[in-house]
Amino acid sequence: MTNTLAAELALDVAEAGDTPHQAPPAIEVRDLTMGYGDRPVLRGVDFEVCCGEVFCLLGPNGAGKTTTVEILEGFRQRTGGTVRVLGVDPAAQPARLRERIGIVLQECGFPRQARVAELIDIWRAYYPASRPLEDLLAVVELTEDRNSQVRRLSGGQRRRLDLALALAGDPELIFLDEPTTGFDPESRRRCWAAIENLRRLGKTIVLTTHYLDEAERLADRLAILQAGRIQVTGTVQQVARQAGVPTKITFTAPERLRDGSVRFPASLDVAVTGEVATCVTGHTATALRELLGWAAANDLGDLDDLSVENPTLEDAYMQLVCGDNQ
Amino acid sequence: MIRTRALNRTIGLAARQALLEQRSFWRSAEYALFTFALPLALLLLIGSTTASGYLPHTHVAGQKVFVPSIIAFGVIVAAYVNLGAKLATLRHDGVLKRIRTTPMSATAYLSGVLGSTAATTVAITACVALIGALAFGATPRASGLPELIGGLALGVACFGSLGMALSSVARSAESASPIANASYLPLAIMSGIFDPGFSVPHWMSAAIGVFPVRALAQILEHGYTPAAHAPLTDLFVLLAWTAAGCAFATWRFRWH
Repeated sequence: MTNTLAAELALDVAEAGDTPHQAPPAIEVRDLTMGYGDRPVLRGVDFEVCCGEVFCLLGPNGAGKTTTVEILEGFRQRTGGTVRVLGVDPAAQPARLRERIGIVLQECGFPRQARVAELIDIWRAYYPASRPLEDLLAVVELTEDRNSQVRRLSGGQRRRLDLALALAGDPELIFLDEPTTGFDPESRRRCWAAIENLRRLGKTIVLTTHYLDEAERLADRLAILQAGRIQVTGTVQQVARQAGVPTKITFTAPERLRDGSVRFPASLDVAVTGEVATCVTGHTATALRELLGWAAANDLGDLDDLSVENPTLEDAYMQLVCGDNQ
Repeated sequence: MIRTRALNRTIGLAARQALLEQRSFWRSAEYALFTFALPLALLLLIGSTTASGYLPHTHVAGQKVFVPSIIAFGVIVAAYVNLGAKLATLRHDGVLKRIRTTPMSATAYLSGVLGSTAATTVAITACVALIGALAFGATPRASGLPELIGGLALGVACFGSLGMALSSVARSAESASPIANASYLPLAIMSGIFDPGFSVPHWMSAAIGVFPVRALAQILEHGYTPAAHAPLTDLFVLLAWTAAGCAFATWRFRWH
């Protein structure tokens, strides 16, 4: 597609008042580098986050996730490259940018003797336009704990208070750095529900996590960061495809296949374990066509229990990060 | 116009912050109790023993000098030791970093914290002065109020800014208190804060005169008795240390 055509199409969509994806990106990162001393941490990171999407940054510990996010938040200085957050360079930590973003840091304490509602209230005062107190308490389900001192809250409650403080200024863009680490399953689900609520409100969310199920559930798009570089970006499906994770087609192996009187077509990569035959392919439709054609030609009828297993984010992640071929 | 609004907003936010800090201070009852207990215990113990009687070669009651020097001690503990350790802890716990995620201005936040420290200091001073008057009959001179009020304000500013500087020097929250104690306590003892009759060799007296501890004590003492050292030099010493503390804190203050 030529650039002009792409531009025209983009214009058409914009005129139709459609999808927020045509708005200028909320975050633009180009060739971002950063090092501590002579140890490089980020070696040229590129990505964009569109307005209104949940963007997830995945990667093993030490890959540079937190460093990247802290540069976006203005807490660290980059060595090179360009970064724009809501159109502004975050390096100088300008107050007018901080008015528009909310940040949940990975580990961050509270003034311990303050009470929940009191703390949220003073946080609201820090911002020019804030969300109502009751609203914030309700979003994070702390209404009943409003008069508790922070030091008496449980870990999960504190994490939700983190979120309430990050939302106090009604931000357009929210950074969540490993928001559910250390949660029990119920607290995680509550946190996810809160994040999905924010997406419905049209907020842009940048999430780092090392839980793959969390990314799969929440992210519109994601990027996998490894050894200071983005390995792949896109939706879960796109990432899986780019990672080159094959699709698995399984079915119950017919009798005649097991006793050796029928053979598989040589073009397919099929293995039989017990009663189950598994075909591994990068071209699902072609392989299916071929399998069904082969079954019909050999009078095997419909293949029993035929199922197609799409690659999961976990498969893609293992393939990319661990070089795992399983 | 816009500038006035911004200034009013900064003052308003600082006041709210100070209020929250004060409430938090009084909620940790143990912390509050011992912040008051230290100067009061010293006041009563030393005041009724070592500091009773007249200063050597004078007709000035030792307690007239001792009560204001304990007031100075209270200022130093609240504004320097406690504030320095508190800021170091807030930094260690990530509270300062969290503040930094918001558009709250550094000036408003730190003014609020300092404002709360000032309120605590005034309360300690009032207690020490009251108990000093009731127990030892040591009352300030009527014409000594400028020295008392000015000394208190300047003392909070000076030791508060040094406390902020200290919090940035300390590499960890744990080391802030030992550093604070090691830096002021020897000076306080050699300055005669705990013993009005204490005397040191001339050269050491000159050296101690460079530091703000004795300077603050002498300004406050002048508010109690005109026989005390005239505080003009001390005023300049405090001003210089305030400027140095502010400059260092501005230069090196770390949010995380």
